[in-house]
Amino acid sequence: MNSLLRIRAVAAKEFWALARQPQLLALLLIGPVLIMVVFALSFDAGSYLPRAVIVVEEDSEGEDIFEQFRRQFTERTDFQGVMRSVDEADEMLRNDETDAVIIMPSEPSARVAESEQAVLEVHYNNINPIFGTTVPNRANGLILDLNRSIVREGIAQELQAIRPTQEQVEELNVQIEQVNETAESLSSDDARQTTADLDNALGNLETTLELLSLADDENEDIQNALEETRNSRELLGEVRDAQEEGADSVQEQAGTAELQSSLAELSEESAALPADVPAQVLVNPLRLVVDNLAPFEPDAAGFYAPSTLGLLIQHIALSLASLAIVRERLSGAYEYFEVSPLGAGELLIGKFITYLFLVVAVNMAVALALVSLLEISIQGSLGMLASVMAMLSATSIAAGFLLSAVSRSQLQAIQVSMLAFIGSGFFSGFLFPLEELDQPATGFSYLLPATYGIRALRDVMLRGQWPATFDLIGLAVYFLVCLVAARLLMGRKGAA
Amino acid sequence: MAVVEAKGLMKSFGGKSILRGVDIEVSEGEIFGLVGPSGAGKSTLMRTLTGYLKPTKGEVSVFGRDPFRFDAADRRLMSFMPQSFVLYDELSVRKNMNFTAGLYGLKLGRRRQRIREVLKFVELWEDRKKTASRLSGGMKRRLQLAAAIVHEPKLIFVDEPTANLDPILRRKFWDEFRLLSGMGRTIFVTTQYLGEAELCDRVGLLHNGRIIAAGTPEELRRKAFGGEMIELTLGGDPGHVGEHLAALEVVGRVVEVKEEVGENAASRTRLVVENADVALPKVFEVLRDADVRSADLIYPSFDEVFFRLVRGV
Repeated sequence: MNSLLRIRAVAAKEFWALARQPQLLALLLIGPVLIMVVFALSFDAGSYLPRAVIVVEEDSEGEDIFEQFRRQFTERTDFQGVMRSVDEADEMLRNDETDAVIIMPSEPSARVAESEQAVLEVHYNNINPIFGTTVPNRANGLILDLNRSIVREGIAQELQAIRPTQEQVEELNVQIEQVNETAESLSSDDARQTTADLDNALGNLETTLELLSLADDENEDIQNALEETRNSRELLGEVRDAQEEGADSVQEQAGTAELQSSLAELSEESAALPADVPAQVLVNPLRLVVDNLAPFEPDAAGFYAPSTLGLLIQHIALSLASLAIVRERLSGAYEYFEVSPLGAGELLIGKFITYLFLVVAVNMAVALALVSLLEISIQGSLGMLASVMAMLSATSIAAGFLLSAVSRSQLQAIQVSMLAFIGSGFFSGFLFPLEELDQPATGFSYLLPATYGIRALRDVMLRGQWPATFDLIGLAVYFLVCLVAARLLMGRKGAA
Repeated sequence: MAVVEAKGLMKSFGGKSILRGVDIEVSEGEIFGLVGPSGAGKSTLMRTLTGYLKPTKGEVSVFGRDPFRFDAADRRLMSFMPQSFVLYDELSVRKNMNFTAGLYGLKLGRRRQRIREVLKFVELWEDRKKTASRLSGGMKRRLQLAAAIVHEPKLIFVDEPTANLDPILRRKFWDEFRLLSGMGRTIFVTTQYLGEAELCDRVGLLHNGRIIAAGTPEELRRKAFGGEMIELTLGGDPGHVGEHLAALEVVGRVVEVKEEVGENAASRTRLVVENADVALPKVFEVLRDADVRSADLIYPSFDEVFFRLVRGV
């Protein structure tokens, strides 16, 4: 029973001690909930439209096709406009001024006529192996949509062309009927009887002439008449064979010229279609070629190495610095310093130098461990990496000083540091690309040093280039604002 | 020359007055004790004098200047020993001293020499390699004192240096203060141990944000009781004391009469006089018929002095 009383006493004390810190409780409760709400309101991977420019030759067939199917392009992208130079468009890509460059083929029909698919080229610049497939995915969707639209349009045009062809076919039918009628008249029973009677008469004449020739075999006239009669009978035999064969052979003779004319027209029309074009080309006249301009495409571990370092730097620096002033203030050391010649600025700078050295050294060691143990490559130089780490560390330390200057207890400072750490996981681009975040998360992102730092570290480690000016300026401004604010808040108590 | 001076000093926090018009003056080379119970405003007064807090009203001057506007050179002239240990537990004694000496800008050679001197002065030289976390409470206080004097300040503010220390250590601290005073340092010390006021050159009694009395311990005692106190022990029937009271009242003021009964029956009478040296012959004169066993000049405790002064406010 005594034990229960003691436990109850401890529990009650803890409860009241916490209840006396409403700010801390609010932070514990509201912080994580706020992060999740902001994330839920802002993250929608499906709705992200990559920025895109179209490169197409002026007054080309490609431009006609683009204008004809413009909707397919603008609905699938955040369309930025039409350009004429691939190099200039690729430069925009490298400067992160666009996400995709779509290059239209100039003469797609000519390629199709050569039984080849015309190539629609898409350039992008992405090093994210997990979330970096948005542009290729969108490009695939675009090419499918374009091909379908082009084929649908082609069928509609063919349907328009079928009408005059039908009329020609009907005309041919009329001509064929006329031929058939002629054939029928030639092969009728009366005609056959006539040719049979004629053949009989010619037969009698031939017999008579043969008898006469026997009587006077030197008479040339008789010989000639006999020969002519035999020839006539052969010809008549052919006519009778023709009568027997019916209309077919007659049709060949009757109306041939008109038929030839009509067929020539049909032949001319059908010549417009390329000969021997494979079905694959007809169904998919455009072929997609996607080209990632990123100099290096890391695996997942390689891609997340700079992000992890960025988050680590921010967390270590922020945690260290957030305790820096509040701890001295609570221990009484701050009052001791205030009475000494040590100025608040000197105190901050002294702490800053140590923390900066420590954070950069630790994280350089981590980076080198990643290189040697996980075989993660660093595209930029170590000097470049150390410089960017120093900038992110400096900014995070300054943010920590500001946090420390406004915190009332060490617990509060640590709590905010932890919330910043969790928030950075969601909003700094560590897990999810910033482009796929919307407001209010985007605004929140730029309150985190890691947002600038992770991008800067990726530039150095994965692209081997100096960070974008925006990120460098962002870090510098953030650093100055936090440091000045912290210094002002550290003024003497009595002056407040 | 006044090293520290305050006139009509007032300080409020959130509308609550802590100091309500303090006048104080500390001369060069003296140990000035600010005495008063907890909550009297001692720490607030000291923080205002060091320039850590800005007065709500009134004037403060240290070395003739407003301490709130001190520059680094001015601050080198003084030091502050806080009530609690504010140095670093994880650092050794010597590293803590190095840090403090660095704050006051001591160059390396001089620093090494001074650290040795002050650590020997506070008897921590043998423990210089120990981390502060391994020091006892008294040793930590001495380390804090060493840190306060390493740069040879002219004025040392010491906040409750002996709080929660045993009497022997407390005495040791006061011996060290006396030595420092002998070196020409001015020491402004606060204490809640009223008895320690006696060890100061001058004392200010702070009560409810006001200095109710200031002066040497003797002056305060005189002020509390109206003069010096003589305790007379008379033998015989205690009932006879009354016969002499009227005569004693002519010499001084009788403030207390105690009677002891039994085999060695006696009475003790306390008489406050303007000057004991002058009064004693007169006392013996008026008591020539009495059995005077002793007549002593007594020094009432400062608890009693403080109690009387507070009651008189």
